[in-house]
Amino acid sequence: MGTKDDEYDYLFKVVLIGDSGVGKSNLLSRFTRNEFNLESKSTIGVEFATRSIQVDNKTIKAQIWDTAGQERYRAITSAYYRGAVGALLVYDIAKHLTYENVERWLKELRDHADSNIVIMLVGNKSDLRHLRAVPTDEAKAFAEKNSLSFIETSALDSTNVEQAFQNILTEIYHIVSQKQISDTPSSNHPSNNVQTIHVAPTTDSDKKKVNCCNA
Amino acid sequence: MSDAAKNRVLVLGAQFNRVEKSGTLPVQEKKSFWKRNTNKLPGSIKAVQSKGSQDHPTSPSSSGSPSPPGNTISSNPEKMRGKIQSFEDYTSKTHDAWCEDDDDVEKVGERVGSVIIQEPTVKVIRGGDIRTGILSRMKKKHNHANDVRPRQAPSSSNKEHTVQPKPLPLPPHAEIQLELQEQEMLKLERFGKILAGPTTDLVILRQYSWSGIPAQVRPTTWQLLSGYLPVNIDRRQSVLDRKRQEYYNLLKQYYDTRHEDIHQDTFRQIHIDIPRTNPLIPLFQQPAVQETFERILYIWAIRHPASGYVQGINDLVTPFFVVFLSAFTDGELETYDVSKLSKDALNTIEADSFWCLGKLLDGIQDNYTFAQPGIQHKIHALKDLIQRVDAPLHHHLIKHNVEYLQFSFRWMNNLLMRELPLRCTIRLWDTYLSEAEGFSKFHLYVCAAFLMKYSERIREESDFQSLLILLQNLPTGNWGYKDVELLVAEAFKLKSLFGEAPKHLQSR
Repeated sequence: MGTKDDEYDYLFKVVLIGDSGVGKSNLLSRFTRNEFNLESKSTIGVEFATRSIQVDNKTIKAQIWDTAGQERYRAITSAYYRGAVGALLVYDIAKHLTYENVERWLKELRDHADSNIVIMLVGNKSDLRHLRAVPTDEAKAFAEKNSLSFIETSALDSTNVEQAFQNILTEIYHIVSQKQISDTPSSNHPSNNVQTIHVAPTTDSDKKKVNCCNA
Repeated sequence: MSDAAKNRVLVLGAQFNRVEKSGTLPVQEKKSFWKRNTNKLPGSIKAVQSKGSQDHPTSPSSSGSPSPPGNTISSNPEKMRGKIQSFEDYTSKTHDAWCEDDDDVEKVGERVGSVIIQEPTVKVIRGGDIRTGILSRMKKKHNHANDVRPRQAPSSSNKEHTVQPKPLPLPPHAEIQLELQEQEMLKLERFGKILAGPTTDLVILRQYSWSGIPAQVRPTTWQLLSGYLPVNIDRRQSVLDRKRQEYYNLLKQYYDTRHEDIHQDTFRQIHIDIPRTNPLIPLFQQPAVQETFERILYIWAIRHPASGYVQGINDLVTPFFVVFLSAFTDGELETYDVSKLSKDALNTIEADSFWCLGKLLDGIQDNYTFAQPGIQHKIHALKDLIQRVDAPLHHHLIKHNVEYLQFSFRWMNNLLMRELPLRCTIRLWDTYLSEAEGFSKFHLYVCAAFLMKYSERIREESDFQSLLILLQNLPTGNWGYKDVELLVAEAFKLKSLFGEAPKHLQSR
């Protein structure tokens, strides 16, 4: 479950959203534990995992919240968008309906998440080539139109899973570090609305401070 | 011990037979209830929990027998007496919904009963045993008078071999084992007496069941405690027949609507969730079982539009299904191949599971309606309770920004089923079904006791991430009956001390 290393430079909260059964939990388990479960249990409410990666010699700890896809849970799960700096919006390339619902999920984010949240559209189950229902180009165009990044993944055969998380975390990192530069000299106390992103010193001693973005 | 116990059972069996005497049946037929029980005495109990139970090689009769329910609690007689007294008080105060339901059922029973009562099958069912009734119905259907017997007779003669101990000196642990068996047998006797009617006293049945129901009588007992089976033994079979038929009619009427526009989302969600229901238990991976679940959940969902199907409800069908299946097999349940069952048998399990699930959900519907207010309320109550009874734990969670919602939502939504092995859930439900508001209220205290059980372990973790990962994966894999018994005992204590005294130990 994530890394044992407790030292990190940045802690980013990322949410996984999208329709039920598109493979959110398996993307998470592939990324954090390198596991895939063909028949994993449905997620109830939210589940949580972490993993750290390196970007520009900095350690970035991703705190990932996997949410339940069913409509009924939205009232509960939207509370988890608070403080999130990134969102992976997942659909199933073999189920067109899950792609159609992406619009609804974007609205969810607009309503409940920080307006600066970085969103990546993820077409999962790319291994199901013969069942593809959503053309790559179409999704790509949609993503561009809505200023989302885009990637197709397969949690089953691991294609692009690492890349997807790496990309979104790097993107967030760049935004944050640029903000830091622009905010200098008071880089430790950003004056504007970046309260969702907490920049932790490299030392272990300030872990508690970092945790306040879990709220 | 076995001789004494066997005698008791035989005497008791004879008493039942006298009660059941109708003159229209061959003697052997009327004894079938007891035959079944004796053949399933601790020697051959193969309950769901067999993995966790302690087998003893020198005593074949103990194989697969669960650690005796109630053992933990009853080991201290003083404590036990106190518990029962207050429990009696409690149940006597809350004797309500079940009885209303029974009245309703009895009225209908009266209507239908007069016709069906003539059938021999009804007489058989008097013993309170569903399986016997079903078997004899199947027998009747096939017109082979002896169809049922070969199955029961050999096993009962097996029992002669296994239960009778050789007069050899036994090692001390074997004696303990036998003592446990004796307790188990006594317990079974008590259940047998009360289930045999003519009218089952639900207050007493709840008292007995609270600390665990023997596997052999669990199907009938659960149906009675659910308010599905009428307390009056003469009406049971007719009510079962009627309710099952009603369910089949619902299927005929509504199941084809699952692909219609207004319902297809519901069915799609159910269809996605079914293969993900207990994916590691082979029983639930069989197509016939999965189709059964789809039908149960779909029909329930479209009949309850205020909540509809909510993920997690699928888990709640499994205990009923497994327990009702146990009436048809002595074998290991989690790996049971349902193609061995007759179509009729599977149908009755399905219909009974449907109605009992409905009874359960009636009590916790606000868990699943919009915004899930029942769950939110209980999470709040859990926080409040922990604050009073385990302040260090509460403060530790708060200090590290852990919110109760983050870990206990699933506990409430799935009634702890995701946290406990199935065998433990079944034992837990013995108690829930015995409590007046087990699933809706008592569950809160069980959750509190569950959290407190890991209090120390939780307080060892000192950062948010590890805390949450621990809280979402509490180490319950090796849990057995005993753990559940300690859990419900603790929960009962909490309920008695705090549930009825909201100001007790209140900080500020």
